[in-house]
Amino acid sequence: MRIIVDETRCEGYGFCAEAAPHLLELDDEGELTVLSEQVAPDEAANAEAAVRVCPVAALRLQS
Amino acid sequence: MTGIPDGPSLDLDLFSDDALTDPFPGYQLIRDTAPAVYLPRYRSWAMGRYADVRAALGDWESFSSAQGIGLNDLANAATQGMIIATDPPEHDKLRNVLAARLSPKAIRNLKADIERRADELVEPLVRQGSFDAVGDLARAFPISIVLDLIGLPQDGRDKVLGWADAAFSASGPPGPRTDAAFPLLQDQLAYLSSVQPDQLTPGSMGRAIYDAAAAGEIRQESCVPLMSAYVTAGLDTTINAISNAVWYFARDPEQWDLVRADHSLIPGAFNEVLRIEAPVQFFCRVATRDVEVDGQRLAAGSRVMMLYASANRDERKWQDPDRFDVTRNPVDHLAFGYGMHGCAGQGLARLEGHSILGALARRVERFEVGTPVRRINQLIRGLDGLPTTVVPAA
Repeated sequence: MRIIVDETRCEGYGFCAEAAPHLLELDDEGELTVLSEQVAPDEAANAEAAVRVCPVAALRLQS
Repeated sequence: MTGIPDGPSLDLDLFSDDALTDPFPGYQLIRDTAPAVYLPRYRSWAMGRYADVRAALGDWESFSSAQGIGLNDLANAATQGMIIATDPPEHDKLRNVLAARLSPKAIRNLKADIERRADELVEPLVRQGSFDAVGDLARAFPISIVLDLIGLPQDGRDKVLGWADAAFSASGPPGPRTDAAFPLLQDQLAYLSSVQPDQLTPGSMGRAIYDAAAAGEIRQESCVPLMSAYVTAGLDTTINAISNAVWYFARDPEQWDLVRADHSLIPGAFNEVLRIEAPVQFFCRVATRDVEVDGQRLAAGSRVMMLYASANRDERKWQDPDRFDVTRNPVDHLAFGYGMHGCAGQGLARLEGHSILGALARRVERFEVGTPVRRINQLIRGLDGLPTTVVPAA
């Protein structure tokens, strides 16, 4: 499974990074960085939570 | 579309005084009946379940905003070209102008100033002991912040709030309330058209709109509609959220004790206020093709009310949804909408809400409120007055 950020939609709310800190991070500039596009099985629940909490639907999972 | 389409329908009045005062039984009936229910009075469908509303909001290609988000033709025509009533690619150009100034990154440097303003507003009110939590607190705060950020001249500011209230109500169904509100929406647009770019504070969010037009990023005729988006969406929404917070914490002091004991609950508490009392009750979408909602077919061209306020209390999604619980942290509530049209100012709204709750949590032990006066509006839900007495923290 991969986690994909639509950079044209992402506005940097950062809720995803709180939900999945091993996968996503807001850098010092407030820009979202993908730490790991590949989602390990034990991170799947966090990845799904990250997608769920994005207010602007900028994240999706691809299996 | 003529006649009553196939499918579940309800002869429900969502816009009577009673329904606008307490809309939740009507929403419950809609949720209990079907994923989408036809409301013949408004020649519109209504969707009230969380998963369906969220999925539709996330699918702009099937559920378009470009034919307007309201329930009457006049308002839908008058709001053509406003960001709320656009689809991509037009939407994205306009959104970029707002996001450049409203994204969390863009407003980071406002935090200290907004927190200071919250303290300066709350401190004398608490000292005074009794105040109107709507007029003196909830309205005073966003008005001072938002109108300064937009950079509007002092002249005319006193009228902006009434216009914003009407700009929402004008999108209700045809009838006397819509007739009364519509001219005020026109007044708002006329006023904004009369404001010259050089009257807006240099560096302000309003000035940035005209700069974007001068740079060719958006069309000149998009400027006034974007200004309208700022002055409409930035006021009554936050105002209602703040007054609702005081109202809920007054009635549930144990929840206030939790927040006072642990200020890290403030963001979750603000989300919970928004969940249980969504300031914007609904906006519409129009199906661009025949669509299926949880197995139920809607014909192309169907107008559908997306009932955010109902989705936020859907028992399929939330446990004990009518209970106010600051530890719930319902971060995926739909009070800000969701997806491409998700509120562009939600970062600022949160900053304002968290700052006010923080300023109150440091100073107030108990809120005691008298009878609230409800403000009747066809799209937004909130109070017009809330007599409040506070017991200061020791």
